[in-house]
Amino acid sequence: MEVSTKSSKVKLIASGVIPFLFLIILMAYIFGPGSDLLDLGIPLPEITIEKVDFIDSEIQVTVRNTGPISVEVAMADINDRIQPAAVEPDKYLNRYETALVRIPFEWNEAEPYRIGITIEDGTRFEKEIEAAAPAVKPSLELAWFFAIIGTYVGIIPVMIGLLWLPFIKRISKQKYHFFLALTVGLLLFLGIDAVEEALEVSKENLADVFNGGLLVATVTILSFLGLYYAGEKLLKTSKSSGLTKPVAIALMISIGIGLHNFGEGLAIGAAVGMGSIAFSTFLIIGFALHNTTEGIAIAAPMSRERKMIGKLALMGLIAGSPAIFGAWIGGFAYSPFSSVIFLSIGAGAIFQVIIIILNMIRVECNNNLSNVSVVSGISVGMVVMYLTGILI
Amino acid sequence: MILSLSILIGLSVVVFFTTFSDAQSESKTFVTHSGAMVTTTGEILDPLYTVSTVEFDPMEYLRDFNYGRVSQLSDGTTLREFTIIAEDDKIMEVSPGIFYNVWTFNGTVPGPTIRATEGDIVRVKFINNGEKEHTMHFHGIHPAGMDGVFEPVGGNGGQFVYEFEAGPVGVHPYHCHVMPLEEHIVHGLYGVFIVDPKEERPPADEMVMVLNGLDTDFDTENNFYAANTVPFYYQHHPIQINTDELIRIYVVNMVEFDPINNFHLHGNLYKYYPTGTDLVPSFYTDMITLSQTERGIMEFEYEFPGKYLFHAHKVEFSEKGWTGIFLVNDSNKKSNQDLDYGS
Repeated sequence: MEVSTKSSKVKLIASGVIPFLFLIILMAYIFGPGSDLLDLGIPLPEITIEKVDFIDSEIQVTVRNTGPISVEVAMADINDRIQPAAVEPDKYLNRYETALVRIPFEWNEAEPYRIGITIEDGTRFEKEIEAAAPAVKPSLELAWFFAIIGTYVGIIPVMIGLLWLPFIKRISKQKYHFFLALTVGLLLFLGIDAVEEALEVSKENLADVFNGGLLVATVTILSFLGLYYAGEKLLKTSKSSGLTKPVAIALMISIGIGLHNFGEGLAIGAAVGMGSIAFSTFLIIGFALHNTTEGIAIAAPMSRERKMIGKLALMGLIAGSPAIFGAWIGGFAYSPFSSVIFLSIGAGAIFQVIIIILNMIRVECNNNLSNVSVVSGISVGMVVMYLTGILI
Repeated sequence: MILSLSILIGLSVVVFFTTFSDAQSESKTFVTHSGAMVTTTGEILDPLYTVSTVEFDPMEYLRDFNYGRVSQLSDGTTLREFTIIAEDDKIMEVSPGIFYNVWTFNGTVPGPTIRATEGDIVRVKFINNGEKEHTMHFHGIHPAGMDGVFEPVGGNGGQFVYEFEAGPVGVHPYHCHVMPLEEHIVHGLYGVFIVDPKEERPPADEMVMVLNGLDTDFDTENNFYAANTVPFYYQHHPIQINTDELIRIYVVNMVEFDPINNFHLHGNLYKYYPTGTDLVPSFYTDMITLSQTERGIMEFEYEFPGKYLFHAHKVEFSEKGWTGIFLVNDSNKKSNQDLDYGS
């Protein structure tokens, strides 16, 4: 008996492994040494200028090899005029490797610059900077500035939104469903907004090799599935952990919105970091107005609860404070790749929350989602978001 | 579990793609265009050859004149025979670290400077060892069949003999005339043809400067400009000349894509003979403007020793390599070893 179970286990493992072996043989055949099957076509080298920083008397350029073959950085120019420069750590870039090109140059603030990097085969790659601005130096003062802005944009508007709670509490059940549906509309808008933003960042700043669109899709869906799984667990254990179901839902909404606000913080930090101050003032006002509606989203499911001022404030913090962290990261350590990742995680989180609220409404409305309050709620939510969103 | 796994994967991807390789080496220093010293732990990207490691030596080309294999015909006329081989597969390091497919006459860009006296018979045995068809088209006066336009010479060993009487007096370009013409020219198939007057010009320190451009990324815009192909070469390897000595420059503009080029000399003015066809100068100036294949002869002497720039006053060109320095030695002060005047 024991022998047979053992041998059947071996068989099971073998049957799982054998296809892999064939796959390895196939790969070795196609790519292995001596294979000339794929020796057709000419691989074109490609580099991407990911970041340009304006330091004292110097322009610093971060380049990444985003092509199929390794490259050598050979020359740097500013506005198509050749400049002596240095490349650190060295000029040889393997696939995906980055280097810092330091170009000594007496640049003028607010003037546009075209930065060119030429590689060994003579191909020149260019990045245009609309207006030169001194790179942000991390300082306690600036960190404090970002914290204040994050508070204005994230925490305070969400808290103001939460003040609608007594109002939502007193209204009829139908109107309550309307407000829950309104939340769905708001979140739906935010989710689409996050996906759009992630796609835009990836299109403008990420090389094609990262396959931006599918990167966004993959991270969004992974985030959605991960949070959905965690959310279900939270709902199941909500009784034992002392949380009521609406509180658990509100908690998830605040986590989702928190991730979203983190993305907003990134955008603000990055805008300040890149020196477009006027733009970021606009961004701040727009986000502040916009985020007030997020407070309603958290308040709505909790409105049938009692004695939860403390919890509510905590959720406001969970939803709002990530804007501060986002601003820090966006301002001090901006990278387009991590921005895309964070925005996509936020989008996944929001879609997950939408499913949960819809479920809640469905249960409350006896499986009928097509009633007036739900349909009008979602519609009004979208429209309100669109109108406040225009301000950004 | 799945959540933490996905977060782990996400974070590790973020960290992986933003990691810099942290190899460090000893620091080096370089000088910027404005004279500042910059120190780096990495490598220096500077478009200049600090040591003479060039494949094509602009200093050698500068004063290199080819008079051919000389013999006399039965009527006493001088015959000058040349062999020119075209190739189109050579990869040359045109600027430090930048490799470009040059098409060459006798292995260099520009091709050899061919020099004859007015009335001599010039016989050029042309061998095309390239892949594509090529020809040699001389500017000057010759029969239609010697024009190198309607008789493309096939690649991989095709041959043709160009024969004509040298004339008129002056400085002329020669170049391949196979379509697409622009492509054949910008890849480097050109050179200088000098016809001396029967009564020689006064002795001088003579040199040839071909003003050219390199479009290394094929976007019909030049990435580099130069006098004699290698960008910034004469800036870091000044051309040595002497005070009170006549300098004669045969200058030919072969820049494509840009409608004009120009030549500005510092601290001096020169007599300019357009196309070199007249023995009386047309201008006394420090600035000439040259269109495609426009050329001429410049003559000047320096009174004061020191370093003098010469460059395109279309500053874009000079900042992309078309710039150089004359280092004028005081001929009265020290007994300089005689320079090889190339003739």
